[in-house]
Amino acid sequence: MQVASAPDRNGRIYLEDFQSFRSSIVWQFNRLYWQRLKDWEQTSGKGYQKALPGGMSDGHQPEAISDSVDEFWNLLKDLEKKNQLPPEFFLLEIGVGTGIRAGLWLDRFREVDLERGSNFYHRLRFLLGDYSLATLERCRPAVKNHIDLCSFIAVDALDPIRTLSFLRHKILHVHSTNMYDNLQDEEIVWRDNRIYWLEFRAYIPAEDAAQISRISGVPISDITKTIGRLLDVGPECLADRHRGNLFWQEVWKAIRMEERLVRVEDLPDLSFPAGLSLAQLEDILRGAPDDLRLHLSSGALESFRNTLPLLHPRGYLQVQDIFVTDLSEYNMGFHGPGKLDGSIVNWVNGALLREVAERAGYDIHFVPFKYRQGSKTSALYTTQRE
Amino acid sequence: MKLPILPTTMVGSYSMPGWLERLKTEYFARRISRHELDEIHDTVVKAAIKDQEVAGLDIVTDGELRRDNMIDYFIERLPGIQIDRGSKKFYYDFYDSEVIGKIPMASLGLVNDFKFLLANTDRETKICITGPHSLTKRVRNKYYPSEEALATDIARVLNMELKELVKAGAKYIQIDEPYYSGFPEDISWGVGVLNVLVEGVDAKTAVHICYGNRYGKPSWEGSYRYLFPKILDAKVNQLTLEFARRGGEDMDLFQEFKVPFEIGVGVIDVKDQTIETPDIVAERIRKALKILPPEKVFVLPDCGLFHLQRDVAFGKLRSMVEGTKLVRKELGQ
Repeated sequence: MQVASAPDRNGRIYLEDFQSFRSSIVWQFNRLYWQRLKDWEQTSGKGYQKALPGGMSDGHQPEAISDSVDEFWNLLKDLEKKNQLPPEFFLLEIGVGTGIRAGLWLDRFREVDLERGSNFYHRLRFLLGDYSLATLERCRPAVKNHIDLCSFIAVDALDPIRTLSFLRHKILHVHSTNMYDNLQDEEIVWRDNRIYWLEFRAYIPAEDAAQISRISGVPISDITKTIGRLLDVGPECLADRHRGNLFWQEVWKAIRMEERLVRVEDLPDLSFPAGLSLAQLEDILRGAPDDLRLHLSSGALESFRNTLPLLHPRGYLQVQDIFVTDLSEYNMGFHGPGKLDGSIVNWVNGALLREVAERAGYDIHFVPFKYRQGSKTSALYTTQRE
Repeated sequence: MKLPILPTTMVGSYSMPGWLERLKTEYFARRISRHELDEIHDTVVKAAIKDQEVAGLDIVTDGELRRDNMIDYFIERLPGIQIDRGSKKFYYDFYDSEVIGKIPMASLGLVNDFKFLLANTDRETKICITGPHSLTKRVRNKYYPSEEALATDIARVLNMELKELVKAGAKYIQIDEPYYSGFPEDISWGVGVLNVLVEGVDAKTAVHICYGNRYGKPSWEGSYRYLFPKILDAKVNQLTLEFARRGGEDMDLFQEFKVPFEIGVGVIDVKDQTIETPDIVAERIRKALKILPPEKVFVLPDCGLFHLQRDVAFGKLRSMVEGTKLVRKELGQ
């Protein structure tokens, strides 16, 4: 990484060279946030849920959980009617967070099962997946009443099938909440029938550097070096961990992005996420409004494509997230990337996901999240494409 | 041409290259002509035949690369079926189609495809068609009193076509009926219709039944138990089933029911991009031979290779042939 230790003539301290967004240093900050969430929360004085727009995760809304349970129960009942009920019912939640949703879901399912006398509960196999072992450990108490039905699995959200290939075509329901919006992304611009790639470089404005220095005691000339250490070892980058945490929070607050457009033809080594090629993308964009800046949602696409093979023929994927469901929406406002507390948040290009899904044999539908007033969340559902 | 013991063949389709998908879609967008598309098809079919020969298959097919999917190629040839040609966005999509009158007898033109195959190989050849039950499930029936009645008339048309194929030299004919697995309640009339289809067809006939392979994924799950005992009434020579992906548990059904058929044993998982080793293939064949006599076994992939990348499809065929050779050796062949 070619970085500067002092501001350039524009008053900016650059943290990296221009590069694809998904390779940017900001994703290392994002990763650090999830790995050291406790440190961040202690210093900021608020839990990450409080930082969310509704003050709680949409995944925890009781009515949403109740409807989700009903939907799953109905599927089981239908399979039972057709004599196609598998011996075990696998469910997977990717990005389990606190485990509260999984716990609430299992509580509700047990209630419904008892009420209706269906005897399905003990055949559930609930897989709680997350890339962070610390998170998996932390979520165990939330499902303690159902622990015999639960497995805690370290899963790369970008490639669930790699870990779970033994469950290929066996999982009846996969769920995630606010996971796609936090996966690596790229942005492109469609202008004059051409695709341009957006390249970014992160920087810290000089005035913010002075503030960081004042609060953390790190000299301005040492800021970039200390950031490198922070991303390697966490807040222990400084001898005083509390100062390390303050340094982290101030740097994150200060980081800005500079961007430039590069013609896609000038990037011969560019690789597209699985399931999407440049030619396909051009086909999709041919009907789109001109001068459009949009997400490629490469992380979400990758995750989506690598989750679908897990689904049982009657299984479905449900993703609660912030989706752009029509490309024209991109011309109506800003859709990220943005900073949400210590992490990154990005709207997900649902319109592109829909196109990729069709080629993979699924139709996808978006349903507005009706359980919180003013919510921008939608739920994506897959159905088998005939 | 005498076939070796444990003859190897494909279920029908070969890998569909991404560039061919694009060209097919270009055709639907009217950006290339029918003549150009026909030339492209001829070229890719020759390549598919060559790949099968090089892989060492005993019986080759045309790879079904002229077909958009297993339904439309037949639906658009069946007289009396109305198609909404604007209903396809991507070549692989199904047409919206409906029957509004009695289906008349007419040729479907499959003989030309078969002659092309015959002219481009000196191996034994097989032609595959989609069966009347599966075709019926994809057409809106607005005329016939029942699905069975519609399927029976489709079977009559297809029966005439099969006889034409036999006249042209077809010795191995496979009928694909994956929709049986999605609608097990139809099996009783499905077998009756199958018998209409093969009546008087002087060739070795096989019926292929799997759990679906649309978009390279299964459409249903379950057990082949639903086929029994009704399938025993089918007047075909061979049953071709998938065993690689699903495991061999259903093989026990052949012990429980005395099957009069040869069995085409699926030994290649077509829904997994990993290439099986010859040893794995050999093991799967050995498992089948614990129950079935070798002279009644054909070796095939679970289903068509349509959704696999070409190098993977070719690698899988090679492994299938090599694995079969290992077992033949053990049998002293």
